[in-house]
Amino acid sequence: MRRHLVIQLARFGDLLQTKRLIRSLQRDGEVHLCLDVSLAPLAALVYPDVILHPVRAHGAPSAEIPALAARNRAACEELAALDADAVYNLNHSGLNLALSTLFDPDCMRGHWLDGGQTHRDQWTDLAFRWVRVRRESPMNLMDFWGLLADEPVGGGEVNPIARPKGGGIGVVLAGRNARRSLPPDALAACIHAAATGMRRGAGFGEKILLLGTTAEHPQARALLGALPPALAAMTTDLTGRTGWADLLETLAPLDTVLTPDTGTMHLAAHLGAPVQGLFLSSAWAWETGPYGLGHRVWQAERDCAPCLESAPCPFDVACLEAFRTKEFLKFLSARFDPQFPPGMMGLATNLDRLGVVYVPVFGHDPFAARRNGLRALAAEYLGLGDAGARATEIAAALYQERDWMIEERRPARLLPALGRGARRAAPASDAAPKSGPDSGPTGPDSPPAPPDTDQPKDSA
Amino acid sequence: MTPVRVLVVLPLYGGSLPIGRYCSTALADLGHTVEVFEGPAFHGAFTALKDLRAPRDRVDYLENGFLQVVSQAVLAKVESFRPDLVLALAQAPLTRQALKRLRRDGVATAMWFVEDRQLFTYWRAFAPHYDFFAVIQRDPFLGELAAAGVEHALYLPLAALPSFHRPLELTPVERRRFGSDVSFLGAGYANRRAAFKRLLKYDFRIWGSDWDGDHALEGRVQLGGARVSPEDAVKIYNATTVNLNLHSSVQSRDLVPGGDFVNPRTFELAACGAFQLVDRRALLPMHFDAHELATFGSMDELETALDYYLDEPEARREMAEAARARVLREHTYQARMETLLAFVAERRPGWPAPREAGPPLPEDFPEDLKQGLKRLMEELKLPPDAPFEDVIWTLRQREQPLSGLEASLLFLDEWRKQYARK
Repeated sequence: MRRHLVIQLARFGDLLQTKRLIRSLQRDGEVHLCLDVSLAPLAALVYPDVILHPVRAHGAPSAEIPALAARNRAACEELAALDADAVYNLNHSGLNLALSTLFDPDCMRGHWLDGGQTHRDQWTDLAFRWVRVRRESPMNLMDFWGLLADEPVGGGEVNPIARPKGGGIGVVLAGRNARRSLPPDALAACIHAAATGMRRGAGFGEKILLLGTTAEHPQARALLGALPPALAAMTTDLTGRTGWADLLETLAPLDTVLTPDTGTMHLAAHLGAPVQGLFLSSAWAWETGPYGLGHRVWQAERDCAPCLESAPCPFDVACLEAFRTKEFLKFLSARFDPQFPPGMMGLATNLDRLGVVYVPVFGHDPFAARRNGLRALAAEYLGLGDAGARATEIAAALYQERDWMIEERRPARLLPALGRGARRAAPASDAAPKSGPDSGPTGPDSPPAPPDTDQPKDSA
Repeated sequence: MTPVRVLVVLPLYGGSLPIGRYCSTALADLGHTVEVFEGPAFHGAFTALKDLRAPRDRVDYLENGFLQVVSQAVLAKVESFRPDLVLALAQAPLTRQALKRLRRDGVATAMWFVEDRQLFTYWRAFAPHYDFFAVIQRDPFLGELAAAGVEHALYLPLAALPSFHRPLELTPVERRRFGSDVSFLGAGYANRRAAFKRLLKYDFRIWGSDWDGDHALEGRVQLGGARVSPEDAVKIYNATTVNLNLHSSVQSRDLVPGGDFVNPRTFELAACGAFQLVDRRALLPMHFDAHELATFGSMDELETALDYYLDEPEARREMAEAARARVLREHTYQARMETLLAFVAERRPGWPAPREAGPPLPEDFPEDLKQGLKRLMEELKLPPDAPFEDVIWTLRQREQPLSGLEASLLFLDEWRKQYARK
């Protein structure tokens, strides 16, 4: 039996987005997961068959350095003794690179350090290129990581198809950054519209649950004040009151979850709870949207989107206005006009040969052609079919001289002897992506993620 | 002195290459943090350009372009390593443009020009671009350097690396393979070719390259004139009864050229405890006394000395021991590097610049980690007060996989960079 180690040191959401990779690796061996200690209780619930190796990777007061160093030394000894056949080092961070030194560079996928030099494999390198223009980004992070596996499971095997289960509406307050979230008045209007729309259709469980950490409690109070009294009366504020297990239990039966791009959103998708993603600012559906069938994303669309969250917004978060328009609220309440909501794309999830896709049901996506071209090239790279002549121009921009000239940069398992033609003839299940990534849509040079803030109270 | 970070830039090939490696070892032995730019790794590509069979001007253009790329690679290493000193050996691939950039960025540069100024006259075009210029010749060279605008030049003679150039216990097979009554190791310069024709009456072996085309010496040249590795050279020195050390000259009029600088072989042979007969050099008395080295000033003197010393094992032994003791006292690469760094420190105010150090490890750092770190620093030859950052840099260069302790220290360093360095 093969032994795989996945090193995922990023946040709550990233841990969930590692699911396709973990599921794929479980098909042919034992999976070990190295992660931040704060997320170990969640990982134990989400990945019960995975052996966990927690380290302290996230921030802590300096006074805790001695304990942190001792714990991490023990964890390093444990990882060194694993004798893993393959190590999937997923994040582009110094912490991940440090851990990679425990292993033979030949067994590394993703990012690693060898003799003081950082390396990444070609698949990861390609991803670094395509995230430079984020609007064209062709692949969800779940798929990017999942396709590192030699035999990835299909996109449909990752999460259950999302279906309403009568448990009411969940509302996730705040994201990691306030700019990604709707203010209480706008969110209240959206909740009202969504509840109205659901009543027009199959109905919902006639209760609303507010989810978040203790830090979001003031926003919950403000939201309660902004809701119409009838809705406020059916609303329960659970901010700061759900541990990981409670959160899973709460999310699973919901009819829908209204949420910005958060870890809780990915957890809902993991459980098959239908997500309505409210994506603005730095959130971009094609990168980190909810995974699987049955979800929707309301994606703000402006020339400046998606932005860099850490930079001040010169437009006073103008993308927020798309969520306040009467056209959007009408749409959310299931009153469909010929007049589509301005500044907004309505997206529904679907699956193709690579994984999840976001199909526009309204709105204009000027980058669709480029994105689809890149996606076709990614599929071709993985041996999943020809990209076609239309992708040639995009290929010229994507591929570099070194790809063409330096064959050994390709991962060893990618058919060095067979050649691409032979590979194309192989069944899709033989599609072998390469290895490791970065921490996602934040871009190649972004530092490792700071500690999560949208996690439940018992995970801090 | 304070531990410093030194980037040693090795040439693509040539005689100064092993010297650069000895410098790296010596600097590390002294507790400095050393990074090496591996010039030889680029030599293959450069050779390919030379063999392109394209018009000469095109090849010139390509060679210059290639050397610019290599030079940029050195700069990239400077950016990541942030050395206190870039130490280049003669022929190191640093273009003038790169040197200007380093000067602009305040990075101290030194060249150890371990060549003969009269042969390698290109020094004039490059020396002013280095902050420090160390040479193996004194006046008039030092005066010429000053006239050319080099403010900080120093005489830095060659040396030996005692951990490498040392007496060896050879096996009988090695003695047969490498030994003879008389031997010479070096390239076939004109004066040597002419001189050695007079030594054919001895059990005489010639090692080294560029001896082809000389029928008289053909039978004495070993390994078909192949280059001899530094490791084998030490074996030859140890296995030979009398090692000839005749400095080179491109003209064959004076077989014993009588120049100034002292070649590395002089120090290496001495460090090996091997007996040598060396031609008199103007600068030799600065480094060895008459009882430490047997010298000759003409071919007649050489033959007389050979006949004498071949029959006097005790005299050979005494002299070789004295020479070795002198080298160990004064003429090691460690000593040379100390001299060079002291010179830089004296001439460059504020050098080395204080480095931004991370916070010290806390007092209550776990004892087993403290002890592990201490053992590791000893193993890495780092002084006990070396900054944690230097330990980390040295660890990162190690061959993988690393131990749990080593990886956990790298992890801690990254963690502190991310969260604790405010």
